[in-house]
Amino acid sequence: MPMLDEKVMTEVKKALNAMRKPVTLRLYTQAFECGYCKETHNLLSELVQANPLLKLETKQFETDKEEAAQDNIDKIPAIAVIGEKDYGIRFYGIPAGYEFSSLLNAILMVSTGIVKLTDETKAFVANLQTPLHLQVFVTPTCPYCPQAVILAHQLAMASDQITADMVEISEFPHLAQKYQVQGVPRTVINEKWSLDGAAPEAMLVAKAKEAL
Amino acid sequence: MLDFNVSLSATAEPDKLWDLIIIGGGPAGLTAGLYASRYKLEVLLLEKAVVSGGQLTSTQWVENYPGFPEPVLGTKLAADMEAQARLFGLRIISETVKSVSLTGIVKEIVTDYATYRAKTVLIATGSSPRRLGLPHEAEFSGRGVSYCATCDGPFYPDKTVAVAGGGNSAFEESLFIAKYAAKIYLIHRRDSFSADPILQERVKAEPKIELITNTQVTALNFDTDTQRSISLINTQSGAESLLEVDGIFIFVGNLPNTTLFEGQVELEQGYIVTDRSYRTSLEGVWAVGDVQAGALRQVATAVGDGAGAAHKINKYIIDKA
Repeated sequence: MPMLDEKVMTEVKKALNAMRKPVTLRLYTQAFECGYCKETHNLLSELVQANPLLKLETKQFETDKEEAAQDNIDKIPAIAVIGEKDYGIRFYGIPAGYEFSSLLNAILMVSTGIVKLTDETKAFVANLQTPLHLQVFVTPTCPYCPQAVILAHQLAMASDQITADMVEISEFPHLAQKYQVQGVPRTVINEKWSLDGAAPEAMLVAKAKEAL
Repeated sequence: MLDFNVSLSATAEPDKLWDLIIIGGGPAGLTAGLYASRYKLEVLLLEKAVVSGGQLTSTQWVENYPGFPEPVLGTKLAADMEAQARLFGLRIISETVKSVSLTGIVKEIVTDYATYRAKTVLIATGSSPRRLGLPHEAEFSGRGVSYCATCDGPFYPDKTVAVAGGGNSAFEESLFIAKYAAKIYLIHRRDSFSADPILQERVKAEPKIELITNTQVTALNFDTDTQRSISLINTQSGAESLLEVDGIFIFVGNLPNTTLFEGQVELEQGYIVTDRSYRTSLEGVWAVGDVQAGALRQVATAVGDGAGAAHKINKYIIDKA
């Protein structure tokens, strides 16, 4: 049985009609000790059928070490959403539930180049001199989470200094411990700073400035 | 079983004068959008979240919405309402409204990214969870304090949690949290509950849930890495106690989302005053759903409001033309 039923697939095709340039979903996976690697692979295999501009590239986390290091992949399943270049957009854990919308959004953003950010934010990211790493912790059933994920991914798209990860926390419980995540969404900036809830753009940018 | 939600923000022409802008994409706003789209009005819905559905999306099961003899998932009902409205051409844009100017003939709605203009506006902004008002409550939100069981319930596997409240939400969500947690204390400041009797029966039949009545939470002792606890006071005897819990879920009612409209439309204790035709005190501005004063605040009433208001707005626009 397919993961994406006919109804969802129709919606996906319609949404991805807006794609302009090719997008590669680079999946890091392995055959053992990975909760949702198989499901994520199945999901992406079906998803790329929705539009010819979409391509799946599968890497083995254990053996393709060089690529994994280059893409900064430290846990699996991992998806790097890559367009004309790598914008630093990552998904760790399966993008199911509401996070499927975040994945579609990332694909469209990378494909069209359209980023919806205020002029203030654009000016801030344009002048960024130091790296900024955003990790957005989510659960698939959290309706407020895609907002935080999409915002982080937009910032990554807008600046080469910024990388942004969606992290589906139930698949990485040790990270819930490490970052004391007990509510989602939670955005962790450069390991140290964090913001709870689906914060408005200006609030995230203010927090990011603190982290610099 | 995994499901996959498809919600993407639409785009809109910047200088268009819309027939109707709906603020808020819960059941009331989505139904108004569906009806208005079928009336062939030029209608735009602004929703702050990426996912429409409002409070439905953070509700586990809906059991009292007609047509679903088996309980329906709040998230499914929300996604279906959104899909149905989109089917008839409703454009939903995921942007947060920052300010509104509703007094003129042309209404202006300002978001972070654009200013939208419309002939009429329908306010369907609903309400948000009320806080208990405890010291450090906001600080611990997301670190032991939660207002959304479907979001944060999974963080408490085999743990002990408190739930504050005595209404339908507190009871329904306690039953949901019981799927994860080992022990739930449902704490209510009165000795009786306002939750529907059927929910009370179910909660009483759930061995994981213990009811504590006549008790108020007075402090959150969440700032250590050791055992967390909450401080309680018995409202009858005045006796104080500590209860060891890993977290607390708060369901103590809602507050209307009307800050945007203060000073423009008439409010009553924060809620928008409407007449039987959903009109507010301002011409060309209607309000539906939870945000209205005196509303029942159910999905069933919200969708009725949405349909009714769309009908009145359509008539208004035809009469004005």
